[in-house]
Amino acid sequence: MSKLSRRTALRLTASMALGAALPLAGCGREGDAAASGAKKVDASPATGTVNVWAAQGDADVLGTVVKPFRSANPDLVVKTTLIPNAEYYTKLQAAIAAGKGPDVAQFFPESQAQFLDSSTLLPVPDGLVDPGSFFTSLWDAGVVNGVAYTVPWYAYTYALVYRADLAKKAGVEAPTTWAGMEPFLKALQGAGAAHALGADIGWDIFNGQDVAMYAWQAGASLVTSGGKWNLNTPQMVDALDYNASFFTAGTADTSGPTFLDAQPYFVSGKTASMITGPWVIGQLDTAAKQSGWTASHVATAPLPAGASSSVSFSAGGTWGVLADSGNTDAAWKLVRYLAKPSTQVAQYKAYSSMPAVISAWDDPAIKGQPLLDAFFTQLKTTRAFPQVSTWQQVATRLGKEVEAVAKGKETAAGAAANIQAYAESVGTGTR
Amino acid sequence: MTTTLAPATKRATAVPRTAAPKASRARRTAVAWLFLAPFGLVFLVYTAIPTVAALALSLTDIRGADLRTPFAVDFTGADNYLRLFQDDTFVRDILNTALFVAVGVPLTMGVGFVLALALNSGISRLRGVLRTVFFAPVVTNVVAVALIWQYAFHADGTVNKLLGAVGFAGPNWLDDPHLAMPVVILLGVWRNFGIAMVLFLAGLQAVPRDVYEAAALDGASRWRQLRHITLPLLLPTTLMVSVLLTVFYLQVFDEPYLLTGGGPLGSTESVALYTYRQFGAGEFGMSSAASFVTLALVTVVSVVQFRLLRSRT
Repeated sequence: MSKLSRRTALRLTASMALGAALPLAGCGREGDAAASGAKKVDASPATGTVNVWAAQGDADVLGTVVKPFRSANPDLVVKTTLIPNAEYYTKLQAAIAAGKGPDVAQFFPESQAQFLDSSTLLPVPDGLVDPGSFFTSLWDAGVVNGVAYTVPWYAYTYALVYRADLAKKAGVEAPTTWAGMEPFLKALQGAGAAHALGADIGWDIFNGQDVAMYAWQAGASLVTSGGKWNLNTPQMVDALDYNASFFTAGTADTSGPTFLDAQPYFVSGKTASMITGPWVIGQLDTAAKQSGWTASHVATAPLPAGASSSVSFSAGGTWGVLADSGNTDAAWKLVRYLAKPSTQVAQYKAYSSMPAVISAWDDPAIKGQPLLDAFFTQLKTTRAFPQVSTWQQVATRLGKEVEAVAKGKETAAGAAANIQAYAESVGTGTR
Repeated sequence: MTTTLAPATKRATAVPRTAAPKASRARRTAVAWLFLAPFGLVFLVYTAIPTVAALALSLTDIRGADLRTPFAVDFTGADNYLRLFQDDTFVRDILNTALFVAVGVPLTMGVGFVLALALNSGISRLRGVLRTVFFAPVVTNVVAVALIWQYAFHADGTVNKLLGAVGFAGPNWLDDPHLAMPVVILLGVWRNFGIAMVLFLAGLQAVPRDVYEAAALDGASRWRQLRHITLPLLLPTTLMVSVLLTVFYLQVFDEPYLLTGGGPLGSTESVALYTYRQFGAGEFGMSSAASFVTLALVTVVSVVQFRLLRSRT
């Protein structure tokens, strides 16, 4: 194709894309150009208006949590828009493309890589927060080429949650290695559980993330130091086999429980363990319809280690200030407030969101909960998923490969080769 | 002679009317465009421009990260289309969709036709009530229905409990790659047979009664009347119903998305679901290309159906 026709085609494409997007998203924002973002943020009161976009869920209580900040900054208006989780990134992307994005937006560290660019987000100003005060992997999840774009807000990771009463009855303790997992699960079944592990059977991005985590535990790196996909490895094969072993050994069932059934199954004894996040701790009493049930029936432990370690992944929520923001000073002041230990404790009290700031875990409200200890321990050994814009696609496809291996339709080696081929076909999102 | 004068006079007066002043015709044309304008504008903004834009996007490597800089995307020609057909999952999803259409359309039409026939002939007292009952699935919230079906076809669900009551051990319907698609098709049929029924009923009521009476006098049995009167006279309706359902089913999304999520092992994932997932992953070029493949499929199948059935009508 000639240079001229190529350019014409590009312009045609871009014009049409914008033509379609703009009527839907409205006209572009008028206002100041983006500030550098590197400017220091002082301690003076914030003023003006700050538009905040967040996904429904942990941000539902944002109004309450931010109230003291609003009182301390009477000339500031904070407008919060909550968007359903499933549509959040799509709407945010469309708004950013149309120049109608908010000043401050929530992101998810496990899937925010596509936004980590100076054309979308402002770099976190020097001195705004202490990077060392957060769980390392949560901070790292917002760093690309040495530039930090997001500030951690809340954190979670996976740990082993199991029925302490059944383990006691079986006379077993939580396993510390992969090798100990199957005997432990079999013992729980011997104590009365129909299937010991309530495994995730959504066969989607979350299964892909689980197996990526197991691959780390086996010693894998998902991306090479040169930035290439590195998924067809012996460690990935081990991870896929490890995950499939729960089903082939009969300690987990490919037909259930589904996501919504996970807690009722656990409470009823149909299952006796879950590899899950800290939110379940606050929900099991409700599922059991009995106050105090969790304290007397449940225990937690860090994940069993593979050949390498007991590493897990970091997830949760982060905040970023958009490059188009017209009020960057107030936006960063709000983000700084949300990153304070006391604010994160308030967020925990309001919604059980676990703090991303390590020191906040010393608060009696959190420290007094022994079931959270395993999550705290695990959070200190977490990693961030690859900061590659196609990671979500690759993890989703990996979830499909995990299903094929778990159901015996594909070998682990075949699945590792498949996911590598797929990942190479979609690339890493760089041009 | 006088009788011929009057028309001649009318013709004479009619001549100037056909040669109306150009200004008047232009005014009428302008008014017509004015009436068309609201729809035209909505069509342009929400259909025409997005369609052309999607076609253009399908020829580029645009992804989610490019939305802010759409001029930076590369024109890749037919690459997205080639990638689609090199992707085993897309080919599988085309076959899944084809199976859904091939089984679902005749089944929906069959159920709709039989019920329409029953309502048109045998049942008279409760016709209105039954027509409403049979049409209810069309207007019922599919999300709620799919949730109920999920529980019904769960390994421990109602269906297996009923089977258990008569001594059969039911399978895990939605977790078996061979059984999940039949359940998804069944949901599609259940949801849409009401439309087919209503259309067939309208077609049946348009068939003149005296044709049946004449056939009955000649000794034609009910079966012969059905074969030689009802079915031939219903061919235009059949064509319309089959094209409508085929177009619906080629774009099937709700049923697999809500009931199985496209699983197990991708056995119920449709082309529309694939398109949606590509879009969600930020692969706008691939997603647009998949949309146009669907459009091509719908067009080809509809044209073939029209030709096949029109030649017989």
